[in-house]
Amino acid sequence: MSNKPFENQSIKKERMFFLILVVCVVFAVFSGYLFSMQVTRWMEYQNRAWAVARRTSEVPALRGEIFDRNYDAPLASNVDSFAVSIVPAETDRQNLPQIISNLSAILGTDSDSLMKKIPSSDVFQSIELKDNVTYGQVVQIASNIEDFPGISWSSKPVRHYNHTPSLSHIIGYVGNINSEELHLLYNKGYDANSIIGKSGIEKEYDLLLKGNPGLKSITVDAKGRNVQEERYIRPPVPGKNIVLTIDRRIQELCEKALGERMGSVVVLKPATGEILAMVSYPSYDTNQFYTPDSANYYKALLENGNHPFLNRAIQSANAPASVFKTIMMTAILEENAFPPAKTIDCTGKLFLGNRIFNCHLKTGHGPLNLSDALKESCDVYFWEVGGNYLGPKKIEQYSRMMGLGEKTGIDLPGEVAGLVPNPDWKLNRINEMWVGGDTYNMSIGQGYTQVTTLQIADLIAMIVNEGTIYTPHILKEVRDVVTGEVVEKRTPRILHKADISSHTFHELKKAMRRVVSEGSIRRLFNNKVVEVAGKTGTGEVGYLDRWTSWFASFGPYQAEKPEDQVVVVVMVEASNEWEWWAPKASNAIYQGIFADQSYEEVVKTLDIWYLNNGTDVIRRRSE
Amino acid sequence: MNSRKSYLTFDFIIILAVLCLSVISVCFIYSSGLNSEGVNTSIEFIKQIIWVVTGFALMALIIYIDYKYLYDFAYYIYGVCILLLIITLLVGNKVNGARSWLGFPGIGIQPSEFTKLATIIALSAFCTKNRENIRSLAVFLRAALIPALPMALILAQPDLGTALVYIPIFLVILFMAGAKIRYLFFLVACGICVTLFTIIPMWSGYVLKQETLFVAVFSKQLLMLAVLGAGILVIILSAVGWFVFKKELYYWLCYSSVIFSSSLFLAMMAQKILKAYQIMRLVVFLDPSVDPQGAGWNILQSLTAIGSGGLVGKGFLQGTQSHYHYLPQQSNDFIFSIIAEETGFLGGIFVFLCFFIIIVRAFIIANSSKDSFGSYLCFGVIAMFFFHFMVNIGMAMGIMPITGIPLLFLSYGGSSLWTSMMAAGILINIYYRRYGFKI
Repeated sequence: MSNKPFENQSIKKERMFFLILVVCVVFAVFSGYLFSMQVTRWMEYQNRAWAVARRTSEVPALRGEIFDRNYDAPLASNVDSFAVSIVPAETDRQNLPQIISNLSAILGTDSDSLMKKIPSSDVFQSIELKDNVTYGQVVQIASNIEDFPGISWSSKPVRHYNHTPSLSHIIGYVGNINSEELHLLYNKGYDANSIIGKSGIEKEYDLLLKGNPGLKSITVDAKGRNVQEERYIRPPVPGKNIVLTIDRRIQELCEKALGERMGSVVVLKPATGEILAMVSYPSYDTNQFYTPDSANYYKALLENGNHPFLNRAIQSANAPASVFKTIMMTAILEENAFPPAKTIDCTGKLFLGNRIFNCHLKTGHGPLNLSDALKESCDVYFWEVGGNYLGPKKIEQYSRMMGLGEKTGIDLPGEVAGLVPNPDWKLNRINEMWVGGDTYNMSIGQGYTQVTTLQIADLIAMIVNEGTIYTPHILKEVRDVVTGEVVEKRTPRILHKADISSHTFHELKKAMRRVVSEGSIRRLFNNKVVEVAGKTGTGEVGYLDRWTSWFASFGPYQAEKPEDQVVVVVMVEASNEWEWWAPKASNAIYQGIFADQSYEEVVKTLDIWYLNNGTDVIRRRSE
Repeated sequence: MNSRKSYLTFDFIIILAVLCLSVISVCFIYSSGLNSEGVNTSIEFIKQIIWVVTGFALMALIIYIDYKYLYDFAYYIYGVCILLLIITLLVGNKVNGARSWLGFPGIGIQPSEFTKLATIIALSAFCTKNRENIRSLAVFLRAALIPALPMALILAQPDLGTALVYIPIFLVILFMAGAKIRYLFFLVACGICVTLFTIIPMWSGYVLKQETLFVAVFSKQLLMLAVLGAGILVIILSAVGWFVFKKELYYWLCYSSVIFSSSLFLAMMAQKILKAYQIMRLVVFLDPSVDPQGAGWNILQSLTAIGSGGLVGKGFLQGTQSHYHYLPQQSNDFIFSIIAEETGFLGGIFVFLCFFIIIVRAFIIANSSKDSFGSYLCFGVIAMFFFHFMVNIGMAMGIMPITGIPLLFLSYGGSSLWTSMMAAGILINIYYRRYGFKI
């Protein structure tokens, strides 16, 4: 071989330089690009990797239980149940209709409605197909899991209520959050899968009860299989237990005492504002909302003309009728509007211009002083004094002072404020002048005045407390689920403090005691365990044979410790046949509370003759 | 020859860089074999250790043999390799759809890898022999035949990625040997045009989702033939014009027409020959979101793996994208993704640095070689190393289309590792003999 090929040669330097330049540029660009990927845009890729490999799922928090004041057996608790879900990306699209059809056979649902919930795109998000699935159904799915690709289940406890029907209004119920609620509560830890209280305590204290759902992460491989132990990113925090001021014994007593009559009962402790019982009839069975037939049940309730969802103790307002005369008496005494000892002669009617106002006793009560007038509930007396000596302004002032026309602030949703009218209101609202007849009507609690049962209970509480109303409340305390420790205790708060002399209340209480001990209802109040003072009321609502029946009372009349006193207000709506039921029911309630008896025992003890043959009662409007 | 002097001038830097890459290779092939439970499910890393050890032995052997023998036996080596390629095509084993393996499954070789080296040697020898008239078209065309033959055989396997490596090898050696720029440019322009013309129809189908006249030229058979006919007419007319008027204008008109027409012709062929998925890979490179679950999946997963590595990485064996098998071909084509995921930017840059050192050293060796053959060999090796590096890592980072060629020294595979080791051996060999090589 010749030396020729290996002669000194000179590489073209400019060409080599060009190559080196290309190499350097490529290395520089690659290094820069690598830097931008891994350092500058690291988070972006990190999140993408996280999103691909990690799936997080929410672990529902156990909802707090609800107890009555005895804190022994829960009124609302959780029952083990399951929810069945599907991950669309993991299922078998071709056989999906068959899979869902098999699934619906096990779950006992309509397969079309399940199909509708499955999106057409292959998302990795788990979509809940059905909740309230029993353990047995889950076992059936689990044992044939290879037939159900993409189907999974998780524990989703269902609320169970174990209480007397009348507590439904107070405790309420829970349901899946709707878009409106989510919109309002988005920032408070709710999401589209949240269970939320829909009414009552469940709604009012939802933030306490619901707890905080945990977050569980599952790492999956390319085929979506779990590759790591489930790990809690955030363990679920169970909700708090709630103890109510309600005493379920008294609640049951009141419920039975009211019976199947439309109306409401409120029992509260005036010394603290604690509600011991609150009954509204008709009621509903919340457990029915968690059955397969819930939709129909719910619909039937909505269509029911008696409005079972209405909590009549706080959500409907009626004329206070003669119960209002307690406010009148307070005003008269406090304002010295008319000498209490001076009598007015009731002839049974009163003329105002060309109108005749008839007292409920057509024959007339004869001459009455203030105390007698309250005892007899004489309309003429209060017309006279209210119309000629007090005037609408003072009546309105005292009404408001004693808590009317304003929400009580009870910790239940949907309370109404009622109404205290005045001349301006009438002019603005009805476009009519206030006339003397309006003052007359207002004086005996008729006309425009509207009050809730709870407001009347508060009114009585003010009389008992001689000027103070404590905000009525249902929540007694909040307890930790695990330790049972009291986390938060509701202390009495003052709602109203009226500047009214104790002498006035003293006189009023005396008169109210006379209503029970000497008035026409004395025969009904046959219990021996407690001295009761109160005021009846009969509201005219346009029927000739039916009147709204009120009885607002407290007992014992004289107590050494104010904590021992209770206020009982019963209101029976005019839609029931008039049988003077409010005082009768109150009598039974007092007997039950103070003799610690059940309703059945009360009936036996008091030998309440009118219970079985209510028709014996003279059907007359008598107060 | 002074042996003491030779020892001092032994290129340890390249050996060190190769050693680093080999260690990284074994480590991350081990890592890629782990499944999601952290259990090793693959013995690839053990095989790789064997390849590395034998590879170093081969390198030593190559260093030992004076490279002038490569010059002497260049065409024989080339001939043997071509023969192996033909045999492979006839009786080879199919792996991943390409008939590229010779031998038994698991312990076979890929002749196409070794042929790269053989082609480098043959081309270098050819250019050395024809140094005097390297600027002539005839020599250029004859030189082009050397890589064209193995390319054709490899394309027939079919293995597009490996076949492409021969183009830069040829271009770089001829460029450095002093071939006319216009001939080289002709090839580069043709390559670019063929690629464009081939993928335009599919690209418009997936990305634009509408047909325009411009696209129709490259997809409708009849229209293509008509345009091709027009192109040939322009070539003939301009050729006549050039011979008659001797005006430069006609030369360049003819030159560009030939580029266009031949590209169009080759594109027509390519559309017939290439598999849809191969064209699709190019389309996906242009826009990975076209097919995120299919061909785009690889790119997206690789990007995610690299990007999520961050500055220092997730730690050795801690990569999630790879271990949960989101990454396909992780010990092979996507080995860089797993390295970058687990060792982060620092690890990635270290790998870059190793390759950069090897290539820079190769330039220095090429420059210091006292003979053309040694220089050309160096440039061929540079072209091979650099092309593999650029295409593979560019692919992993999403700035190059997926072509499925391995990352030399790092990817799992005996044949490519041996080829790389021998190529490195050649570099060291030339450096070792830069002063004393005289016959």
